[in-house]
Amino acid sequence: MSELLVVEDLQKYFPVTRGLIFQKAVGQVKAVDGVNFTVEQGETLGVVGESGCGKSTMARCIARLLEPTGGKITFEGRDITHLNRAEMRPVRRDMMMVFQDPYASLNARKRVGSIVGEPLEVHGIGSEQDRKRRVQELLEIVGLNPEHYNRFPHEFSGGQRQRIGIARALVINPKLVICDEPVSALDVSVQAQILNLLKDLQKDFDLTYIFIAHDLNVVRHVSDRVMVMYLGKPVETGSKQELYAAPKHPYSGALLSAVPIADPTLGRARRQVVLTGDVPSPLNPPAACRFHPRCPRFVDGKCNVDEPVLTPAPGATDHEFACHFPLERWPMDEDDFSRRESEPQSQPLASTTD
Amino acid sequence: MALLEVTDLHTRFRTDDGIVKAVSGVSFTLDRGKTLGVVGESGSGKSVTFLTVMGLHDMRHTEITGSVRFDGQEILGLSTSQFRKIRGRRIGMIFQDPMTSLNPVKTIGWQLEEAVLLHNDVTRAEARKRAIQILQEVEIPRADTRVDDYPHQFSGGMRQRVMIAMALINEPEVLIADEPTTALDVTTQAQILRLMTKLQEEKEMAIIMITHDLGVVAELADDVQVMYGGRIVEQSEVHDLFEKPEMPYTWGLLGSLPRLETTSDRLEQIPGQPPSLLHPPKGCAFNPRCPYVFDRCREELPELRAGAIGENHRFRCHLSDEDRARIWEEKKAAFDAAEGSAA
Repeated sequence: MSELLVVEDLQKYFPVTRGLIFQKAVGQVKAVDGVNFTVEQGETLGVVGESGCGKSTMARCIARLLEPTGGKITFEGRDITHLNRAEMRPVRRDMMMVFQDPYASLNARKRVGSIVGEPLEVHGIGSEQDRKRRVQELLEIVGLNPEHYNRFPHEFSGGQRQRIGIARALVINPKLVICDEPVSALDVSVQAQILNLLKDLQKDFDLTYIFIAHDLNVVRHVSDRVMVMYLGKPVETGSKQELYAAPKHPYSGALLSAVPIADPTLGRARRQVVLTGDVPSPLNPPAACRFHPRCPRFVDGKCNVDEPVLTPAPGATDHEFACHFPLERWPMDEDDFSRRESEPQSQPLASTTD
Repeated sequence: MALLEVTDLHTRFRTDDGIVKAVSGVSFTLDRGKTLGVVGESGSGKSVTFLTVMGLHDMRHTEITGSVRFDGQEILGLSTSQFRKIRGRRIGMIFQDPMTSLNPVKTIGWQLEEAVLLHNDVTRAEARKRAIQILQEVEIPRADTRVDDYPHQFSGGMRQRVMIAMALINEPEVLIADEPTTALDVTTQAQILRLMTKLQEEKEMAIIMITHDLGVVAELADDVQVMYGGRIVEQSEVHDLFEKPEMPYTWGLLGSLPRLETTSDRLEQIPGQPPSLLHPPKGCAFNPRCPYVFDRCREELPELRAGAIGENHRFRCHLSDEDRARIWEEKKAAFDAAEGSAA
């Protein structure tokens, strides 16, 4: 396998301005602040986090729909961070996006044929007949009737619209597809159809996915590797097996334990961590470890002073986390999630920045 | 006596295209202090059923038959002014989207006070005291200052807490929650669900939890009813339902759920789309999507009947008891195998 996409220290800051005419910058929202990862050809990277953690902004930066503030994006060995529009054009053929809301992401005044065919048209591929044939082929592949070519989006249900969005993303044979919450707006039974479709297409067309979702069950189902983000930074990354079997970061642990379990006996017996409060404002992120104000394992004088960096988990091949006091076991015990008063006696597993 | 008793409820909407049978013959009971989970896809009639119970339809286009008895009193067909004495006071409701349910140009406090003033003979100052108190109960930090904030100053989870506060401010006996956590993150969802359970214990109210998430139902509900095509297709005590579901649609729902504890490569999917309520299929509404369909299903609507477990577990299906038991055993074995490989 080769590396398809390498992202190094990606940053995206939005200026906060005051005043109508002079627009003086009074602060910055650090939506994405130092994200590193690699996506191999043919794999799926799942990105999880609460709303406001910067996962969609990150996706938009990678697709260059937003201009990154800093960092480097390498796609197929080529630095695409600062390409201009014209230079970006051929790259866009290989990188497509599927959006969350199938109601808002399709132009209501265009017919399905021209929506799905638009990428071909933009890139000037094929004659009109070729395009029509290709679009109908794609409609068939994603499970729609090719005769629906001349219909409008409003004639379709939510799941069918998401299929149209997927057809549009695949029509020019991209290598990387960025799916930004593709199933969040759908019913469970339809969600299963779309997830299965995405997996089948990956096999058939050798696709690479970046799959963004807030639902850990969904991410686990589709991903090979997973990245957990909190306030613009990854707090834990790893292969699906290692991360779900033994999460190290308390935030990942809390996310996992918050997922409702569809089994009344198991679900009610388990120990659940309920985080208090909301994600803090990225305008004024907490110092050092950004999770410390909500962290049940917070130690004063350590977590709010030293920023933990991503360090490999002991004994794991592909698993990194950024925490001074990682979880020792999973599923966790009673005292793993009680607020610590003082530093524990045992040596912490993670090394620190100093 | 049951607190809420719905018998053979039908709701039909007259539209330009014809009559939409949104709810067809729904019956259930709810006791004090219990939680009823209502599961179904969009368009299954789950929300409409409870909007009917709350008397929130435009009667110019709606035909309703059947009976809704609340605390022994028939409430279907009450006049608007009589209904207002119950709605918001003895039956509270929370809607899915907290942003569109709150008035953006009034403060949170004003909106909470309005709910108190409508139903109680108190001064605005007293109502305000009550508003602050209820905000504290739903765990809004600094409630005494936040009460003067506007909805846009609250996060999604806090807005949903305000909605809960508003529904609970008059201490209702029944709380109807229509997808209260669907728009929220998992962590916030867990906070809200925990809060609802806590308040339920304190106030001994009954909760009706409308959701499409079987996980939420498994966590909270005492009884569950699964709805499809405007009808109840299975109703049962919660452990029974997850232990031994009796109906192909419920099997499909359970199979299509991506679970943390399994690693199977493909999800079981229910093919096709939910039925149109304008032109419902003949016979069993699920027959076009059912993998076990046979001729009888296409002709005859199955009755809601009890199975082997007892009177309290009822379902609609023409399959024989032996066939259903055999199919579920096979499915359960497949689930267990997937769980085993994950461990």
